[in-house]
Parts: sequence; structure tokens; C-alpha cells
Amino acid sequence: MTEAGLKDVNPSIALPAARRLTDLLSSAPEVHVKSKREPMDKPRTDEDQELVARTQAGDAAAFDRLVVKYTPRLYGLIYNMTSNHEDTNDLLQDVFSKAYKAIRGFRGKSSFYTWIHSIAVNMTLNFLKKRGRRYQLSLDDVDASIQNDKEFLEATATSSPVREADLSELQKRLNEAMMKLSDEHRAVVTMFHIQGMPHAEISKILRVSEGTVRSRLFYANRHLQSYLDEFRKNPVS
Amino acid sequence: MRRLSNFKRVPRFGLLRVGLASTSVIVIAFSGATPSRAGSAEEQSASSISRQVKDVFARAAKAVVKIHAIDPHGELCGTGFFADPTGTLYTAYSVGGEAENFTVEFNGKKIPARQVVTDIRSGLAMLKIDTATPALPVGKSDELEVATPVVTIGFPLDLDETPNFGMIAGFDHKYLGRYFSTTHLRVNATTQRGEAGAPLLNLKGEVVGIIVSSLENGSSCYAVPIEAAEKIRSDFVRFGEVRHGWIGANVTEAPAPVEGSRAEITEISATPPATGSGLRSGDILLQVGKVKVREPEDVLDASFFLTAGDVVPITVARGGEKITFDVQADVHPAVKNVPMLPDGTQLPAAATLKFNRAIPLGLQPGSQRTP
Amino acid sequence: MDEFNDNEIAKLLRLKRYEQPPPGYFENFLHEFHRRQRDELLREPLWRICLDRGHDFMLRLNLPALTSYPVAVTAVLVCAAVISLKLYQTPAPASLAAQDRSVSNGQPLQVFATPTNNADAEWTLASPAATRFFSAPSLRNPTESAFTHTRATPPRYVLDSVPVSYETTFKF
Repeated sequence: MTEAGLKDVNPSIALPAARRLTDLLSSAPEVHVKSKREPMDKPRTDEDQELVARTQAGDAAAFDRLVVKYTPRLYGLIYNMTSNHEDTNDLLQDVFSKAYKAIRGFRGKSSFYTWIHSIAVNMTLNFLKKRGRRYQLSLDDVDASIQNDKEFLEATATSSPVREADLSELQKRLNEAMMKLSDEHRAVVTMFHIQGMPHAEISKILRVSEGTVRSRLFYANRHLQSYLDEFRKNPVS
Repeated sequence: MRRLSNFKRVPRFGLLRVGLASTSVIVIAFSGATPSRAGSAEEQSASSISRQVKDVFARAAKAVVKIHAIDPHGELCGTGFFADPTGTLYTAYSVGGEAENFTVEFNGKKIPARQVVTDIRSGLAMLKIDTATPALPVGKSDELEVATPVVTIGFPLDLDETPNFGMIAGFDHKYLGRYFSTTHLRVNATTQRGEAGAPLLNLKGEVVGIIVSSLENGSSCYAVPIEAAEKIRSDFVRFGEVRHGWIGANVTEAPAPVEGSRAEITEISATPPATGSGLRSGDILLQVGKVKVREPEDVLDASFFLTAGDVVPITVARGGEKITFDVQADVHPAVKNVPMLPDGTQLPAAATLKFNRAIPLGLQPGSQRTP
Repeated sequence: MDEFNDNEIAKLLRLKRYEQPPPGYFENFLHEFHRRQRDELLREPLWRICLDRGHDFMLRLNLPALTSYPVAVTAVLVCAAVISLKLYQTPAPASLAAQDRSVSNGQPLQVFATPTNNADAEWTLASPAATRFFSAPSLRNPTESAFTHTRATPPRYVLDSVPVSYETTFKF
């Protein structure tokens, strides 16, 4: 049996499961390169305005450009709120589908960036409410460029049980800790700590005051602290 | 059984004999009566047939519509029918393929329709109106046999919705010396101009084919099996266009049948997917995907239902054993923008191939296709 | 002092920035989006068509107060009521055919070219009310050729005597 004409599949660059953090520390290069995974710079809003205007005029290809532009960051937002790749994929499709249908009514009072993030957060929160407390982790692989992340390596160096753990075990614990938060707390943690959004932007997206954002972050961090303390008390052998 | 092996020897029925023949066939098929009660049994089965036909017409008619359009020759009219409750329509390519400004008469109104996808190879086109509509349930043309009774509903000329009753006369690979793109159903029902795109229904009221052309004497017509339309619709949903598939193997008639098939592969093209597929010259073709192959002509169906990009299992007989290869079909050369020669050189863009377009017999080029 | 503080949590959470979908996922996403749009195009349910139409209508009026969804929903309910009344009142094929007959017995359907005044002139008291609609001006602008052709000749009723395409070889 032969299969002809298949396209080459890019080899995965995910780390093997049992890679120890100690290995990462020892193999980290002396010169710390700026990680490619810095929170994404906020995209140019003037370009968005033009693309939105063209979409409203009937240019479907302009909307395609917006999809391509916003898919990676919205994927990150939804994935970190759901910890499930398949659900994230479905939600992301629904978000753009809804945005495409609603864009004729978009009047530009907020930026497209804020608008589409609002749609994504709200659809995800609604989904999570329906999903309830029973969830299924379906985690993406960790990209190898984490080896160049200076701050992450520093954090793992300071805590002994974490240093000895598998990267995949740490990933699992972090996701479980996130899932223990309430959906709203997880949303602000995702936007602030993982996506790197400033408080002001988060407050515009969630339509709450900046004070509310700060206080949710405060309590969320407290909860995460206690969950991760359990990890410290029950380290992986 | 879909095809009779001795089908070619079934005599052609003239127009006058169709009525008698169909009645007697139907009576034989439906009556279980003893000779002494033959009279009343015939009456019963005839009225039961009449009831079934009326029932099919009553249920299906509201999903069949008249289509108006404009092409470079002027205004044209044809027939179409709804395939789903949201206003998706199937019709013949000669109606919906190369015209514009479509309108559809439905519920006493003229509703604008847009062209969704067309496929000259199958002779079909899909249109859409933005309204809730009834829809015809889809049947299976595999269940049809020669002499199966069928109903058509169409808009002949400028007349109202008209039913027609007839039977399957044959499953043809070719007509007037030219091969169809896929097996066509020949139907002994007189169809008129304006009925291209009419649905062909079985007595359960399911659509099993789409009327596309009439035979020269007008007493019979050809219908494309509904599975061809469903392939086009499925390709459109998946890719936004019809994706005709291609392997690159030539087939000819083997001197003697092997494992029930006379289709022998003679030439494997030097480009993929044929190269590297595992197929070899001399292999006897037995099955391609869902299509069983017994004659070289069956390759037409095999080819028609290939979708570029999909992996299709191909079974051959070689040296006394059956082997199956999974081959990924490529894009049909008639569709590629720049076709390639077997040695890999590309033809200039101007020399683009298209599916072979039938030229009407006896007419000047450029004049109307319908007589 | 092994306590995690905010800073530590933030740094550990950086791991989650590196969780990425499988290779090719983003490249394929747009294709998948288009496929879903096409699927939706063929499967739009009636309520969605009504809602979109109602919402579009409100937007075109350019009255901000009316673009809210409660208003659109009200419009949808009104439309749904009208449409369901029409569906229940769908005439039987026979009666629809009867109305058609009175049109076709006269001049051929001149939808594309007939200006309004001619339509009024053709309508007589003898014609059932429904036929008047067929003689009304078309919903689309007629092309030049349509104007000359439909005035002079009836439409071409299509049923070819040969199939549209053919195959020449047993090659697959």
C-alpha cells in the first residue's frame, strides 16, 4: 500500500514530554535572546479601520486579512480560558462568523481590536458557563522557544520542587490551577499575565472599571498562589 | 441489479408501443392475481399506480419551479427544483450554467436567484434563492432498474407544471458515438423544451435524477443521476468549487475477463499521482472508490466521482491476487490552469484545456443549442 | 521564603504563552472559515434569514435607536407571522396553474422589458388578480439585448438534444 502525493508535514518542534527543567537551565545560552513570545504588540488600528471599511463595502478579502491578523492572539485568549484545543477552534470559528455578520453594524465607537476581543471574551464566557465545572484538558504542546525565556527560567530556578518537575507536569498543574479559578478571574489573568494587555485595555474589553480589573487580578493571584502552594507541598518525585 | 449484462440486446421500443409495454410490465410487477381474476387485479394495480403517481405529483410539485434567465442569445426558460429547505436549487447546465439575471417562479412570485456553482462536465448547475422552501427528498439511482416506473415534473414551453410518467429504459455510457461524463439514465418519457432541469422521481417521491437532454426523436430523454448533483454540492461546501479528480491511468479492453472485469490498465502517466501509486500497466481494474469496474466504460464513472485531494482506494487484479492501493487524486488536467505534458513541461497559458464541449449536430456554431 | 508571590506566578504563567496549536493550524484556519461560511450559505435557517433581513432594514433606516436587537426581534416576529400566514395560504398546484394559464394564453411573459404603464394597459377585469404581479416590472434591470429580444421573440425553452459535454478516452 502506498500513498502518493502527500504534502510534507512540518516536523513538530514541541518539546518531548519528559524534558526536565534542569536540562533547560543547563542548556540555556549565555546570551539571553529576546524571546519571540513577548506579548504581541498591539496592532495598528489605522490599518484595521481601512480593512473594516472595505469589509463593510463588500470586500470579503479585506475581512480575510482581519481574520489572519487576529487569529493567533484570539486563539491564545480563548485557549487560555478553556484549556481545550478543540473547543478553542470551534469558538474561534464562531467568533469570526459572528463578527462577519455583525460588522455592518460596527460604527467604530471602539477600535476593531477592542470590539473583536469583546466578542471573543463574551462568547467564551457564555461557553464556559454552559460547560460547567466538568472540563476536559486538551492541551497544546509547549513550543521549544521557551528555552530562551529568561524570566521563566529564573522563576523555575528559584523554587526547588518546580525545578525538578517535568515541563509537561508543570504545564498540567498550571492549567489545572487556572481551571480552578472562576471564569471571570481566569479571563483577567489570561489577558494580563499571558497576553500582556494593560489594565486600561482589559477594562475596555470587559466594560468594567480599571479598579475592578485590578481587584480581580489581585484575588486571582491569591487563588493561584494557594493552588500552586499545593504543588509545592506535593512535588513530583 | 443495476445493469443487465445482456442489456444491449433489449429491443428498442417505438413510441407507440411504450404505453402497452409499460402497462403490461407494471401489471406483471404488481399483480399477484390468478388468471381468473386478472381483470379486476389489472384495474386495481392500474388505479393504484395512478394514485401513486398523483400522490408523487401532489407532494413534489411545490418543490419544482420555473427558471427564467438571460444569456447572450436572449431570454431563456427552464425547470429546477429545491434540494433543501433554504432555497438551494438544482437545474441543468444548459439553463443555469452560462446565463445571468436569474429569477425563479415560486409561490406566485418571481424571486431573484443567484448562481452558486456550475459544472459543465456533469451538465448541472446550482442556484439559490433566499427563502424558506419545500425540498425533494433524495433517493438512490442505484435502486433503479430497467423498467422501473418514474415520474418527471417540469415546465414545458409556456405551460404550467406538468407531470410525466414513464420508465427507465436504460443506463447509457454513450449517445451518438460520444461518451457521457458519467452513466446517464435513459427515460422513456416524452419531455418538452423548457423541461431541462426537471427532477426525475421514483414512486416514493424521491429525486433520483435530473433531466438534461432529450433524444433526437423526442420520445425519450436523459437524466443525470442525483449522485452527480450531490457530489457537486459536496465539493462546493468543502472547497468552494467542483474538484474533479485525476489519477493518470489509461484503460482498455482486456482480451478476456479477469475476476469479472475486462478493464485493463495499459498506460500509467509519468507524473504523480499515477507514478508512485503502485498501479502497473497490465493490472486489471476491479474497483475505484465506490465504483465497481467491469468494463472499460465503467472508468467514466470512476473518474467522475474522484475528488482532487481525496485519497481513493483502487483495487486491481495482478498475477492471480487482488491488491488495493490508496492513491491521492490530483486535479483533473481539463481544469488545471496550466496543463503539463507527461514529461513535466508546461503548456503555455493560452492552451488551456476545458472539458469537451458538445457541439449541437447540424447547427451553425453560435446559434441556439435547442432546435 | 519559598512562597510564590505575584511576580513568581506571573513568571510561571509565561509558560502558557508558549503553548501553541499544531503546525499549520493558523494557515489552515482561514480555509476552514471559508468552508463553514459556504456550508452556512446553503443551510441558513429561516429565522436567521428573517433576523438578518430585519436587522439590515433597521440599519438602512439609520436610526440608532432601532438597531438594537429587541427591535430586530420584534421585526422578526412580525415577519415570521406574515410568512407563516403566507405559507399556510400557499395555493394548491391546480389553482396556481389556473392563474398561470390566463397569463400564458395571452402574450408571453414579458417580465424583463415591460414598463409599468404597459403592465397597467394589459391588465383587464377578466384577469385574476394574481396575474397582475407577473406583468409587473421586473425586480432586476434588464440588459439591452433582453429588451430587444423579449419584445420581438418569446423566450427560448431549454432542452438540448445532446448533452453539454462528453468524454473522449477511458482515462482516469
